[in-house]
Amino acid sequence: MSNRIVIDPVTRIEGHLRIEAVIENGVVKDAFSAGTMVRGIEKILKGRDPRDAWAFTERVCGVCTTVHALASVRAVEDALGIQVPKNAELVRNLMFAAQYVQDHVVHFYHLHALDWVDVVSMLKANPVEAAKIAQSISPWRNNTAGHFAAVQNRVKKFVESGQLGIFANGYWGHKAYKLPPEVNLLAVSHYLDALEWQKDLVKIHAIFGGKNPHPNYLVGGVPCSFNLEEVNAINTERLNHVGSLIKQAIEFVEQVYVPDLLAVAGFYKDWAAIGGGLENYLAYGDLPTNGYGDPSKFMLPRGAILGRNLNEIHEVNGKNVEEIKEYISHSWYSYAGGDANGLHPWKGETEFNFTGPKPPYTQLNVEGKYSWLKTPRWKDHPMEVGPLSRMLVAYAKGVTDVKEVVGAVLKKLDVPITVLFSTLGRTAARGVETQVVAHWMKGIYDDLITNIKNNELRTHTRYRWDPATWPAEAQGVGMTEAPRGALAHWIKIKDQKIDNYQLVVPSTWNASPRDGKGQRSAYEASLIGTPVANPEQPVEILRTIHSFDPCIACAVHVYDPEGKQVHQVSFY
Amino acid sequence: MQEPRGTLVLGLGNTLMGDEGVGVRVVELLLEGPPPPPGVTCLDGGTGSLVLLEPMQGARRLLLVDASADGHPPGTVRRIIPRFASDFPPSLSAHDIGLRDLLDSFYLLGESPEVVLYAISIPWPQELGTGIAPEVEAGAAQAAAMIREEWAS
Repeated sequence: MSNRIVIDPVTRIEGHLRIEAVIENGVVKDAFSAGTMVRGIEKILKGRDPRDAWAFTERVCGVCTTVHALASVRAVEDALGIQVPKNAELVRNLMFAAQYVQDHVVHFYHLHALDWVDVVSMLKANPVEAAKIAQSISPWRNNTAGHFAAVQNRVKKFVESGQLGIFANGYWGHKAYKLPPEVNLLAVSHYLDALEWQKDLVKIHAIFGGKNPHPNYLVGGVPCSFNLEEVNAINTERLNHVGSLIKQAIEFVEQVYVPDLLAVAGFYKDWAAIGGGLENYLAYGDLPTNGYGDPSKFMLPRGAILGRNLNEIHEVNGKNVEEIKEYISHSWYSYAGGDANGLHPWKGETEFNFTGPKPPYTQLNVEGKYSWLKTPRWKDHPMEVGPLSRMLVAYAKGVTDVKEVVGAVLKKLDVPITVLFSTLGRTAARGVETQVVAHWMKGIYDDLITNIKNNELRTHTRYRWDPATWPAEAQGVGMTEAPRGALAHWIKIKDQKIDNYQLVVPSTWNASPRDGKGQRSAYEASLIGTPVANPEQPVEILRTIHSFDPCIACAVHVYDPEGKQVHQVSFY
Repeated sequence: MQEPRGTLVLGLGNTLMGDEGVGVRVVELLLEGPPPPPGVTCLDGGTGSLVLLEPMQGARRLLLVDASADGHPPGTVRRIIPRFASDFPPSLSAHDIGLRDLLDSFYLLGESPEVVLYAISIPWPQELGTGIAPEVEAGAAQAAAMIREEWAS
């Protein structure tokens, strides 16, 4: 017997995602992923000053604001041939790395952990036992029976007041939850520690970007100046503050996040065989050390993997109009030249063409158009993007730090590298990356301090700031890696204004509908074969979808007309 | 950074979604006017999510300003004292981790400042764009005036 279940919206994500899954004999047979909000930032940008684009793109989402600003200034710099000074590269790298570490930790504890951790179960845990377990895996200062008891009390009060709040909409008590109450308590306690800690780390954005949220960026460099003695500049005191935040970040990642990840993963090894999906992985790479124009010197390398063949890394070129194309066979758009052709983003079009059912509807017509997301392809291959792709490309390219941490994790869990091609692997790769990047932050910071001490204080170039110096027409691409995957902005400048602007965001790669050939994208592919014990509580589907760290706010943009907030599962 | 234990006026919303950005507009209006008294900070929270916990935690009094699709005539300003996140009117931002979750997290951390919400009614759904309709702009001005009165008290 087969039935199709609908999860709309998928909760604990930014934006609005709908999953329809066909379940047969307790296993997902087919799946459809739909973005049910529309995006139109491209239309807002047309005709504006390219130097202002970052400030608009940064507002598309509250989670990865900095990466959209970075992609935007890079696109403009690329179009105009601007190279930023070394200090600007370092500051951008620091902001990038801070975003990664904060976002990955928040994803693990606040968006993903509740798929594995039963909050209600922790209420019956023994805090003394929980402390014993916690102390056996980490020296973290809050791993005490007293602290765990206090957390238990606090959550108990919260629950007793009838306000489950952020813990609402969980499938508590579902048999897919396998952690003992004590491990659940440990995880929830660290959930709260992570909340406290993450808000400190992002002060790095306020220090270098002037404010947070939505820190300032600048075409040609960074909008801050260094002067060790000056009160209003980035001075010794502020730099020391950044240094101590980095130290705390490394401590939190090593003493809390990674040990918890390994502890939880140990109970869910069966998920190393579920949720693999696509066999192709794409990473644009980031953290340049010799300028954005030299990807061979990126700390996170660029490349594509096909068919899980780690022995061959394909080169990726965002400017080759034959490589990255967006298709709309199943998307609510129309192309002037016909809907069957793919368009490279420089030639991209954003014409809405909604042909779906009028809400509220029971089921999407998946034979036709069924999503507001376009379908991007690399050389016509569907690609997964995200931490797993980045770590696989880095591993295959022999990045030493990545190889070491991946090796250590696999050894600890006693599993082969092939387990990475899974839901658990995706979640583990994010932890690996966090640990590597947290340490890299320290190195980037040290380089910055050395520069400043050597009196290299330049943070901005005036080259081509003045539009009068621009060519009549120019085009560029700003590629980066948002925490959740490959992100790029393509810009065309004409007569000093934006003529065309297209974003291809990570969730478009992962959450898009099928292409015209019927090839599934990452979410749809990864759900095939997922066991679902109880279709009324499809926590298994959430585990796989959340493992991608979905964030749809920039992929699609308008909230649904009913302002629905409550998780719904329906059956048809 | 605001002074510890002061008042934080936090305007929320997405300025790319027309009237939805009215909370941010109120903060702009407040910053354009005479400077707030010592201890009062106005912050454009934009579409910020958990990063807002940091400025929020320093505050003794939180004045939140957000758009609301509550069916009242556009531009209606309502001053609400919510206790729990679920007391909030239908939230709007394209955020699942919205104001409600933010406040829940805040309370979970053991914070208990005075929280006031200024909800400004807007029509829904919104077209994409960066402008605010005149009647909603009038609501923003009214909310700004009310907040000035409140922070003086």
